[in-house]
Amino acid sequence: MHSPVEQFTIKTLFALNLFGFDIAFTNSALFMVLTVILSVALLVYAMRPAAMVPGRLQNVAEMMFEFVADMVRSNVGSEGRRYFPFIFSVFVFVLFTNMLGLIPYSYTVTSQIVVTFAMAAFIFVGVTLIGLIKHGFHFFSFFVPSGAPKALIPFLIIIEVISYFMRPVSLSVRLFANMLAGHTMLKVFAGLAVMLTSAGGVFVGMSALPLLAIIGLTGLEILVAGLQAYVFTILTCMYLNDALHLH
Amino acid sequence: MSVTQIMKPLVYSPLALMVPSLAFTSGAFAAGDSSGGLPQLDIATWPNQLFWLLITFTILFLLMNYVVTPRISAVIENRSDKISGDLAKAKEADAKAKEMQVTYESALASARADASDKAQAATKAANDKAAAGEAEMAKKLAKKLATAEKKLAAMRDDAMANLNDVATEAAQETVKQLIGVKATKAEVTKQVKAAAKAANA
Repeated sequence: MHSPVEQFTIKTLFALNLFGFDIAFTNSALFMVLTVILSVALLVYAMRPAAMVPGRLQNVAEMMFEFVADMVRSNVGSEGRRYFPFIFSVFVFVLFTNMLGLIPYSYTVTSQIVVTFAMAAFIFVGVTLIGLIKHGFHFFSFFVPSGAPKALIPFLIIIEVISYFMRPVSLSVRLFANMLAGHTMLKVFAGLAVMLTSAGGVFVGMSALPLLAIIGLTGLEILVAGLQAYVFTILTCMYLNDALHLH
Repeated sequence: MSVTQIMKPLVYSPLALMVPSLAFTSGAFAAGDSSGGLPQLDIATWPNQLFWLLITFTILFLLMNYVVTPRISAVIENRSDKISGDLAKAKEADAKAKEMQVTYESALASARADASDKAQAATKAANDKAAAGEAEMAKKLAKKLATAEKKLAAMRDDAMANLNDVATEAAQETVKQLIGVKATKAEVTKQVKAAAKAANA
């Protein structure tokens, strides 16, 4: 019997070396590669007819595109167009890794804090640089709340700066914790079902309950997978908007 | 490993709150689990994951940027262009149709006016012709009537003259036989004329 967090273990599938640097191909790497292949293949294949009146699959691709495009348009405005491909990539990457992770025996890349934090940190640094390049020194006025009493401003600046630097943490931990909790919960209920079955007797019948719970939880996890991809993307849009327009 | 151990309670305790059974189960499994703790906090795996994330996400971004999003946006733009183009065309056709209707209506109105003018002219011409014909006929008839009347009057006068002669002769004869006097023609004529006048009056 394994621990419910065993599923998050990184396993090396085959060893790889690059200039002495260990780049072993792991289960995590496999699902990152699968995410790229599947998402690009799906979108390219779906858009292949390029029909004036889209078919079912083309509609899916266009809906995904329009969904993110609307998000960028309404949260960032016309200046966000330049960053749309990146934001769309973020959405697709998170959505596909989350969804692929729900397939039994697969691996959830976004359940790794290092992955989510790296993405969040990249977004944070990138957005901050965009703000600094666009507004120069004026960017720091972002940390001064407008209309606050003068006496409170030093404290407010401290709070604003702390909350600003907490952004990558909250962005990454939200996604990581959701994935971790969801998958752990599924494993806990699955483990319970196995334990009840192995207990024998009347417990075998009772094992149907955690099994039903897994079915319900899987539905919930599909929702969470989509929702967290949306939340991650919309927060990226909001941070970008803050950097471009300050307040 | 040291960082893992420091962070372990930090991450693990809220998780245990989120999933109440997790604490129980992980405790139950702890005996069989040699490493313990979250595999995510094993720093040794981080460089590898970061490397593959960098590679895969860069590839994904490049493909999205240069292949996928241009295709999708091209199709969507194409469609919106077609829709707005078709709408403009429809508007144009509508305007044309309206213009045509106006032209048609004015043509119809002018044709109607023309027709009514022509009808009026024709009526007037016919009326004139009829009136002229009537007048001529009336003139002709009047002439004929006058001729006939003249003829009649002449005939009557003739008849009347003959009648006077006959009456005169008859009166002369009557007088001669009655009183044996031969009345002069002038006398009798005078008397006959007087009598005729009286009779006529």
